[in-house]
Amino acid sequence: MLYIKCPYCGLRAQKEFSYGGDATVKRPNINEEVSNEDWDNFVYMRKSPRGKHIELWQHIAGCRQWIKVQRDTATHEIFQTAKVTEEIR
Amino acid sequence: MKNVSSLENIHKLGLFGNNDNKDELINIREIKDVLIYQIVKYKKSSISIDKIKIDNLNLPKTLFVSSNHYTRILWMGPDNWLVVSSNKEIEKSILENLSHDDFALTDLSHSRTILELEGSLVDEVLKKGCPLNLDGLDEGKCSNSAFHAITITIDFISSNPRKIRIFALRSFGESLYHSITDACLEFGYKAE
Ligand SMILES: [Zn+2]
Repeated sequence: MLYIKCPYCGLRAQKEFSYGGDATVKRPNINEEVSNEDWDNFVYMRKSPRGKHIELWQHIAGCRQWIKVQRDTATHEIFQTAKVTEEIR
Repeated sequence: MKNVSSLENIHKLGLFGNNDNKDELINIREIKDVLIYQIVKYKKSSISIDKIKIDNLNLPKTLFVSSNHYTRILWMGPDNWLVVSSNKEIEKSILENLSHDDFALTDLSHSRTILELEGSLVDEVLKKGCPLNLDGLDEGKCSNSAFHAITITIDFISSNPRKIRIFALRSFGESLYHSITDACLEFGYKAE
């Protein structure tokens, strides 16, 4: 099991979280023309990197906040966590 | 309106489990007839919560509870609190002290099942289904977590004797009750 440091509650077990996918995907701007391909990419297409990955998790059985987690998808090592409003670099 | 408990036909009083020749059992009670309100501060609000008092209690900081004899206010998340009170005037106190422009108030009184567990073995019961690190979760703290995949809120009421309250959604009440009492069997428990 992973231990994830929630920026609000502190270190918690993975059991309290749910996974929310790639945190670097940006929604196309509202009220602007968007091509079918760009929309398709936003909705469906995801990279599946081996190595460092910035992802969203929700502390669903905790403070219920969405957070960012930088995790190695091969070793599961977690390098950094942050609030969604903060950047991971 | 009468609040019919989800444990109405489940919570049977008496001694259960391995209770022979035990110096100490775990006591399990159901907490009923309390008023429960959720308070959420709007994202757009810039009001400071420091001066706000409800039933003379502050809105507590992360993982803390503020309490008096009738009312307990639990931190649920950023800008989110749960008021649990046997003071029938609590809604008035909340409405007097919180402005509509800054806070949303929701009556959750009928939406939770609450179990109170007391005894020195309470932590051992929790450890069977809850991944929380209980170190430091002493009197006056609270936390959300899960017990065998049921989302719960734990209010750490007192350290000596160890006394906690576990909140679950009402619809999970019966399932939580069976999970908790099952975990209590090896220690013996008294349902009261
Ligand atoms: Zn959290």
